[in-house]
Amino acid sequence: MTESTQPAVKDQIREFIQENLASVKGISSFRDDESLMDNGVIDSLGIFRLVSFLEENFGVRVSDEEINPENLKSVDSIEQLLIAKSKK
Amino acid sequence: MDFAWTEEQAAFRKEVIRFARTELNDDLERRDREEEFPFDFWKKCAQFGIQGLPVPTEYGGGGADTLTTVCALEALGYGCKDNGFLFSLNAHMWTTVIPLMGFGTEEQKRKYLPKLISGEWIGLHCMTEPMSGSDAYSLRTRAERKGDRYVINGTKTFITNTIHGDLFIVFANVDPSKGANGVTGFLIEKGHPGLIVGKKLHKMGLRTSPMSEVALVDCEVPAENILGKEGSGQAIFTHSMEWERTCILASHLGMMQRLIETCVKYARERQQFGQPIGKYSAIANKIADMEVRLETGRLLLYKAAWLKSQGRHALREASMAKLYVSEATVQTCLDAIQIHGGYGYTTEYEMERDLRDAISGKIYSGTSEIQKVIIAGFQGL
Ligand SMILES: Cc1cc2nc3c(=O)[nH]c(=O)nc-3n(C[C@H](O)[C@H](O)[C@H](O)COP(=O)(O)OP(=O)(O)OC[C@H]3O[C@@H](n4cnc5c(N)ncnc54)[C@H](O)[C@@H]3O)c2cc1C
Repeated sequence: MTESTQPAVKDQIREFIQENLASVKGISSFRDDESLMDNGVIDSLGIFRLVSFLEENFGVRVSDEEINPENLKSVDSIEQLLIAKSKK
Repeated sequence: MDFAWTEEQAAFRKEVIRFARTELNDDLERRDREEEFPFDFWKKCAQFGIQGLPVPTEYGGGGADTLTTVCALEALGYGCKDNGFLFSLNAHMWTTVIPLMGFGTEEQKRKYLPKLISGEWIGLHCMTEPMSGSDAYSLRTRAERKGDRYVINGTKTFITNTIHGDLFIVFANVDPSKGANGVTGFLIEKGHPGLIVGKKLHKMGLRTSPMSEVALVDCEVPAENILGKEGSGQAIFTHSMEWERTCILASHLGMMQRLIETCVKYARERQQFGQPIGKYSAIANKIADMEVRLETGRLLLYKAAWLKSQGRHALREASMAKLYVSEATVQTCLDAIQIHGGYGYTTEYEMERDLRDAISGKIYSGTSEIQKVIIAGFQGL
């Protein structure tokens, strides 16, 4: 994954969260920099659904230490995590 | 796909069964009645290497992969009938040793892991509270920051291993405005001022495993006692639960196998109306059902363990294994008692104890209902 693919990656993350995590909570829109933990979109189970999605779709392994609010709180931070992992 | 144990795993399994049968069954009926925890078993298991099985060798552990660990735990459940003791062992491994390995600093690991592996220390974790069980993150225990220290206040209940416990992982919220993201894990040693082991709780089963309340009264700990980071309690707890739900019921697989063998033997020997009761399809069908449950349980549990062995997440699979094996074990205990008739109902035949012990499997580590919530949650429901 390179930085030039960012928009596509971001779109996929946003779409996954919208369809699978936000809509069931009755939330129809959110900003990319918005904390999805503070607004209740991503709860403890949601984190793991999100991690499964990232691992399956982007071929990365998210370690237990990486599963924290800083990395997974917003569409922007999730994208940053993926970029950081692709550079390793 | 490979459904067989390797030669080493099979040999290890045999060795664990031999060890468990000869060393871990003494005086069980009395200990169950009197709610006595077997310290000597704890030491023997440590010498054998059980507590440290999944821990890397650099910390004195056995460095076994998850499947090999599960193989050993299943063998323990087959050879050792003290389900309460095995539960204490599992609680120690999955809710103290594993989170310490996953989230501890190098210093914390070097300080605590050798003691927890050698059998010198017993570990436990304190999450559940009188007002929060399934909804664990709504806990009320608070940790208030004061300079470079935290002052913890709250009450915990249903806590396993407390009475003989040495290292407590206590979950408290450092900032309630953050909800679950304020939940933080603290390492607190036995005897620390303000950490009070409360009244012993008596229970239906797992009676050789101690349980009690824990109170934290102005319990002041330095910031270096935090496990992971401030706010990482949720990640730690989920990590522990993923491991625990994968592995804790491996011993139930062994228990189910033991019960099936006992039932088959009895169904062949016990004669009624001029023939062995196993000749009646009503009895034979029960045994067939028990067999199917055991094999299904194995497939689910081994799959979750295999995923963990691959370094992958298995929250969904662990929930399925935990849900299925716990329910299957209860049904298998009920069937075993029914096959044995009046004898099965007596203490002497030991199945009533297995049943009492098995029922708790539907409650701890997330109830059956909560496992279904998680499984359905993965489908977006
Ligand atoms: C033997 C044993 C050992 C334990 N050891 C420990 C330990 O060492 N440390 C620790 O912290 N805790 C421990 N626990 C506590 C255990 O984790 C809790 O009992 C468990 O999580 C359930 O919480 P609760 O008892 O408060 O029940 P509640 O959460 O009050 O549930 C009551 C009932 O409501 C159902 N329910 C609740 N929410 C939902 C929902 N959303 N959907 C459907 N049904 C729901 C439950 O399934 C249950 O049937 C132990 C428990 C037992 C039995």
